[in-house]
Amino acid sequence: MKKSIDPFPYMLLVPALFVTLLVVAWPLAETVRLSFTDTTLKPQVNYIGFANYEKILSRGFPEVIGRTFLWMTLAVTLKLLIGLLGAILLNAAVPGRTLFRILTMPPWIIPVAIGMFIWGWMYNGQFGMISGLIQRIGLSDGPIEFLAAKDTAFLATVISDVWIGVPMVAVYLLASMQSISNEMYEAAWVDGAGRLYRIRRITVPLIMKPLITIGILSAIWTFNAFDAIWILTEGGPRSGTTTMIIDTYKTAIDRFRYGEGAARAVLIVLIMMGFSTAYYLVLRKLGNRR
Amino acid sequence: MINRYKWWEYIAIYAGIAIFLSFILAPFVEAFVVSLRPLDGIFSIPYRFLSEGMSFEAYFSMWESVPLLWLYILNSLFIASSVTLLSLVAVIPAAYAFARFEFKGDNIMLGAFLAINMVSGAVLIIPLYRVMMQLGVLNTYMAMIVPGTAFVIPTGIWLLRSYLMRIPRELEEAAWMDGAGRLYTLRRVILPIAMPGIIVVSITSFITAYAQQFLFALTFNRKIELNPLPTGLYQYFGRNEVLWNELMAASLIGILPVMILYLVLQRYIIAGLTAGAIKQ
Amino acid sequence: MFKHTTILTALTLSLSALAAMADDQRVHFTICGGPDWAGDVTAKYIAEWEGMNPGYFVDPEYIPWGQCQEKATTLAAAGNAPALSYLGSRTLAQLSQADLIKSFELTDEEKASYAGPVLGTVTYDGKIWGVPRAFSSRAMYYNRGLFEEAGLDPNSPPETWEEFLAAAKAISENTDSYGFGIPGNSTDTTMQIFLGMNYSNGGAVLDDEGNVVLDSPETLATMKMWIEAAKYAQPGIAAYGESELTTLFAEGKLGMYLAGPWIRSKLKDVDYATAFFPHGPSGTHSTFLVTDSYAVFKGTGLEEQAESLAKLLTAPKAQLEFDLGTGLVPLRNIAGVEKLIEEDVTWAPFINVIPTGGPEPVIPDHGGLRDIMVDAIQGALLGEISPEDAISEAAELIKELN
Repeated sequence: MKKSIDPFPYMLLVPALFVTLLVVAWPLAETVRLSFTDTTLKPQVNYIGFANYEKILSRGFPEVIGRTFLWMTLAVTLKLLIGLLGAILLNAAVPGRTLFRILTMPPWIIPVAIGMFIWGWMYNGQFGMISGLIQRIGLSDGPIEFLAAKDTAFLATVISDVWIGVPMVAVYLLASMQSISNEMYEAAWVDGAGRLYRIRRITVPLIMKPLITIGILSAIWTFNAFDAIWILTEGGPRSGTTTMIIDTYKTAIDRFRYGEGAARAVLIVLIMMGFSTAYYLVLRKLGNRR
Repeated sequence: MINRYKWWEYIAIYAGIAIFLSFILAPFVEAFVVSLRPLDGIFSIPYRFLSEGMSFEAYFSMWESVPLLWLYILNSLFIASSVTLLSLVAVIPAAYAFARFEFKGDNIMLGAFLAINMVSGAVLIIPLYRVMMQLGVLNTYMAMIVPGTAFVIPTGIWLLRSYLMRIPRELEEAAWMDGAGRLYTLRRVILPIAMPGIIVVSITSFITAYAQQFLFALTFNRKIELNPLPTGLYQYFGRNEVLWNELMAASLIGILPVMILYLVLQRYIIAGLTAGAIKQ
Repeated sequence: MFKHTTILTALTLSLSALAAMADDQRVHFTICGGPDWAGDVTAKYIAEWEGMNPGYFVDPEYIPWGQCQEKATTLAAAGNAPALSYLGSRTLAQLSQADLIKSFELTDEEKASYAGPVLGTVTYDGKIWGVPRAFSSRAMYYNRGLFEEAGLDPNSPPETWEEFLAAAKAISENTDSYGFGIPGNSTDTTMQIFLGMNYSNGGAVLDDEGNVVLDSPETLATMKMWIEAAKYAQPGIAAYGESELTTLFAEGKLGMYLAGPWIRSKLKDVDYATAFFPHGPSGTHSTFLVTDSYAVFKGTGLEEQAESLAKLLTAPKAQLEFDLGTGLVPLRNIAGVEKLIEEDVTWAPFINVIPTGGPEPVIPDHGGLRDIMVDAIQGALLGEISPEDAISEAAELIKELN
């Protein structure tokens, strides 16, 4: 066992570190610095210690944090569930599967904002597709305005964001499924295992790790999901869909309170780092590392 | 034999796929329908699929409203490709390091990389603008490629790392015992086996870069000839009126290249994955 | 603003300073939208200005509407401000407070040539911070066919709030459509339309000295009227903004609603007419006035040139060409305005109401103002708070804005 430090792994990290330090680290450090100031557009800037943080935490931000976690948990769970189901379906060796797989991609490729405009139209009660079809089937005799009330707007924004994330989850899980060698299935088949049994006992356990991997990734992306909410509701009605990133955007960009916005951003990063560290430690306990 | 489905299994599968794809494609059906309508008849109450005056007009007039649309699509493809290639240079060694080696600070660094994805570019935009300005890359492709790469790297590292961790160590150990250097082993032994994973990561990076090029292009670039597609699409937004039909037509056309690319690439994934199937 | 000292920076700064000197004569001019918005008029006068100022070139940058303001401010905040920018006038107070823009000196003659309260939208702290460029008011659109169907006279739109509520009720009860369209989503329109109604009742957000006077009996009456009107409005108010309401009106589902003049091009299939905002018991016909203007950023070294360019582009004759080319309400009083109304009578309410119109309130934290007002309106309309509480809370919060 060598006592001196092996430089090789660090060298492997150099390209990634270089780009990251250049693009992210300094602006991030600046952001942390800004969070301790009262910077707006004005030229003079004062250091105000933790005042921004106090202000944020005392005035309703904890509610925003809670709402963000709820939104995020719902969205990620749905993405994983629907993505998993999709992957299982697309894994089936039926004619046309290549076409189906390609047809799964568009929500991921289209610029997010455009997709959200379309969802906005679909959610309208008078001229939108969803309410129109529901009324046509007869499940409701009046128009349903999904974006007009807090609860339905919350769900509506979640579903639109889930729509964006499902293709990536499905594609990733599908790729993982396809790397499971056929021998395992055949051995089980010879032993008389039915299809559903094989899916439950072979496929699903073997993609647990990829599922967790994509789950964490999905969680991180979803935490910062901006367009889905901004374009559909701008955080309303009455802050019903205001998550942390919406709040940060409004503060920093809309109202030019860079100092306060920076403090929110720092809080977001700290919370997420804590969250993912905890998750990662749990994974390690489950024996994921060799 | 194992894959011969019974008739009711076929029905169940196709039904499931139909429901799944309905969710995925419903907005695109809406987009397509809107793209066929004239501007003063975009919506109808109550909702109708088919309405009067539908035509493919918008698919032609959209080139006039935004003359450089084709250039924006090409720019998007170029920027996304550059981001993907550059990020691979950073992601592959880094993922290998995290997958195979235990070194001081490895958990913290991995967490730090992931933390980057948690910081939205919108908040960093002003300090980042200054960085770009000081580097002198404003109004060039680099101003969009470099930040794009930085935000794609963490995802790539995370995904590739978990893929690499499933490759048996015996392969490398065999190579080392034969006297191969570590870098050589990475290049010649690991990479070929990791190809499917690398392709998956590349696709992820490419699509992400393609779809999310808005903010950096908007802020760091003034030359409209360099604009990528998402930024270019905003030219359909007038002061008080949006050319929705043309916008939808342009968006649909804009995603076609990537879908074709995926069609081509996904055969490689399947070929790679089944050929070098990794025993679990 | 932010100091950053490394050798690399010093090097690149000196290099870019050398490059910048060559740019000294380029007036970076950010314009919202695209060249299709009377771009030819703008280009023509830019060329004229360049001819009069040899050695200077104008470098126009067209930025899409949703982002143009943001980008100009980002550039300014990062230390690379454009020389001249097209901005919504609501941002001027904030920019002036941050000492980022330069005030304009207008002669009395120049001032008098602007229609009524227009200059009020660009005035803050007694000074003028932008040259008005684009201007809009709002009026009421009503569906004459629905009026007839409901038993109302299609040629006499409601003038007072009583008539207005009665008409809305009649349409709701006697036709398949809704009487009135209320914007209630989280955008500016919600606040603007409400304030337009409030002005029509003698209420206001600020008085002439900038004191917050929102908490008044007039505003309370407006809010109560609004709640009453909501009974005859489209369901799901909080999901509707101007474009959604326009769709409804164009499809014949609304008897009346309030919007700007640009809507008319979308109403080909509707038998509509325009009218003033109905006025309340304590006021006269009024409206909500919005302007965009040209602002000159400080620190570019080209402030003089930017100012002279702005004034040339907005000189009365040039401005009228621009207004006609873009379909906006004419900004400066010269002949040609009466002709507009003669040719198209739907212009009348938009133009004739200007002298009694109310401006967008000039508050530096306009985003904050909007959030507060939207919250109050949504809360009152959704029944979550009483109108009294909504207004008094809003007034308190506005006072706290800097």
